[in-house]
Amino acid sequence: MKTDKHSNDGPLEARSVIGFYHVDLQYKDQKALSNVHFSVDNGEFLCLTGPSGAGKSSILRLIAMDAFPTKGEVMVRGMLASKMNRRRIPQLRREIGFVFQDFRLLADRSVEDNIAFAQLVVGVPRAAIMKNVMRVLTQVGLYGKRQRKPHELSGGEQQRIAIARAMVNSPKILLADEPTGNLDPVTAQEIIDLLFRINDGGTCVVFSTHDHQIVKTFGQRVIVIQDGRIASDVKRRVPVDRTASLADQMYRGTDAATAVDNIPATARQETVHA
Amino acid sequence: MLSRSQTSYLFRESFAGFHRRKLTTGVTILIMGSALLVLAILTLITFNMGHMLAKARQGIDMRVFLRADLTDTQMAELQPRLVVIPGVKDVTWISPEMALNEFKANLGEDAGILDMLDENPLPASFHLTLTPGARGLDSVRAIRDEVADWEEVSEILFNQQWIDALEQWTFRFRMASLIAGLIVFVAAVFVISNTVKLTMAANARVIQIQKLVGATNGFIRTPYLAEGMIQGFLAGAVAMGLLAVAGWLFGDRLGGIEFFSPAQIGGFILFCVTLGLIGSWSAMRKYLTMRSEI
Repeated sequence: MKTDKHSNDGPLEARSVIGFYHVDLQYKDQKALSNVHFSVDNGEFLCLTGPSGAGKSSILRLIAMDAFPTKGEVMVRGMLASKMNRRRIPQLRREIGFVFQDFRLLADRSVEDNIAFAQLVVGVPRAAIMKNVMRVLTQVGLYGKRQRKPHELSGGEQQRIAIARAMVNSPKILLADEPTGNLDPVTAQEIIDLLFRINDGGTCVVFSTHDHQIVKTFGQRVIVIQDGRIASDVKRRVPVDRTASLADQMYRGTDAATAVDNIPATARQETVHA
Repeated sequence: MLSRSQTSYLFRESFAGFHRRKLTTGVTILIMGSALLVLAILTLITFNMGHMLAKARQGIDMRVFLRADLTDTQMAELQPRLVVIPGVKDVTWISPEMALNEFKANLGEDAGILDMLDENPLPASFHLTLTPGARGLDSVRAIRDEVADWEEVSEILFNQQWIDALEQWTFRFRMASLIAGLIVFVAAVFVISNTVKLTMAANARVIQIQKLVGATNGFIRTPYLAEGMIQGFLAGAVAMGLLAVAGWLFGDRLGGIEFFSPAQIGGFILFCVTLGLIGSWSAMRKYLTMRSEI
């Protein structure tokens, strides 16, 4: 078994956009993460998976500097958590887009106002806001519904609006915390495809899910978190055929998990941390 | 620097709380206005008593009555001795005749009674006016004590009791205003803090999203601080308005009461705005850590 570059104990890579260096995170009476060590390259697509409560969200919070490591160091876009001035956190947040399971849209505002809001509060001039909103709405294919209120849209559409909002400030990193959690498999696949497209555009995407089925269709790097530790950090060389969507596989009764497990071991790089 | 779109957003949001909860905000402002009115009235009374005290002190003077058996020379010798006492500005000789005329003038139509007297019962006296610095109670007493020892002097009179009482009451009112001020201060901060907390709770989702997309804390805070300050301003204006109405209704019966000067009104309202600022500031402390509950 070869050692994967993502899981070695060496110094953080210079080209990394995110780096965790032997991170412990302790909440009041509970240890959330222990000795988490990995880095993410610019433009990489990373999937975090593991059971609920394993520590996926804690990792995302550390990346957003919404939490700070008890031990170790977190680096995001060259900024170190230990040296982070709290006044500069807003600056960092402008380089990170967020997507959540529950969409978190403002119910009393139209789709375009929801997206414009993200630009307004960071001081983008009005003319540029209009242009950017149009751009991202076209990107997610909902320009025609820009006047609607969120509750008039389906779950998948709401999530696409949330993604559009996350992307409107052109972030370098997109954090998606269980973005498919509330969606049916077909819609979930559409959202994942949208995230892939965003990743193709050069944005680093960190996607977290507890859904084993979704992970098995991935050709990307997958980090499995268990009890606050990295259980495995795998990068598959052979991408899974994305044309056969998860939903297709499921509805055909194929066990997607088995499909992935059938990929020859030589095509995988895998390290299992004890 | 804020962009134009940000400025107009902040401006709109500052009034958003008022729009969304007209009744709550209106009642809050009325309650605070009434509390501030009490404070304003106490302050006004304190001010006016201060004026009265200053005036009474200006008018403070002393009459030094002399023994009846003194010769003119003896009396004449006293004048230079009085003039050199520190705090004495001027010394006027009042003969028994002058005193009688003064008395007659005071009696007016009843002055005829005095014609029944065979001789003038009034003693000669000196009228002392004091320098402004010597009008405090202590220095007036010091002068009295010094002169009282002289054997030529029979009695010394000054408007001591009146000033004494006035000074005491002014002190009491000043303390009362201070205590009332403190209570109103705490209450107003609490009330404003609560309404601003309501606005922030209603906007929790908005605040959360603002944090996520990288709005600065300063930017997120501004509309809520502004809301508190506007509430303080309106409550202060209500208090001043009520006071003006009360002055207009009861003005003739109160007579001579001096209302606040425009500068004092400005100061009072500034105080209320500060109250609002402190109230809203205390409201948002728990809301505005950079935590965004991701």
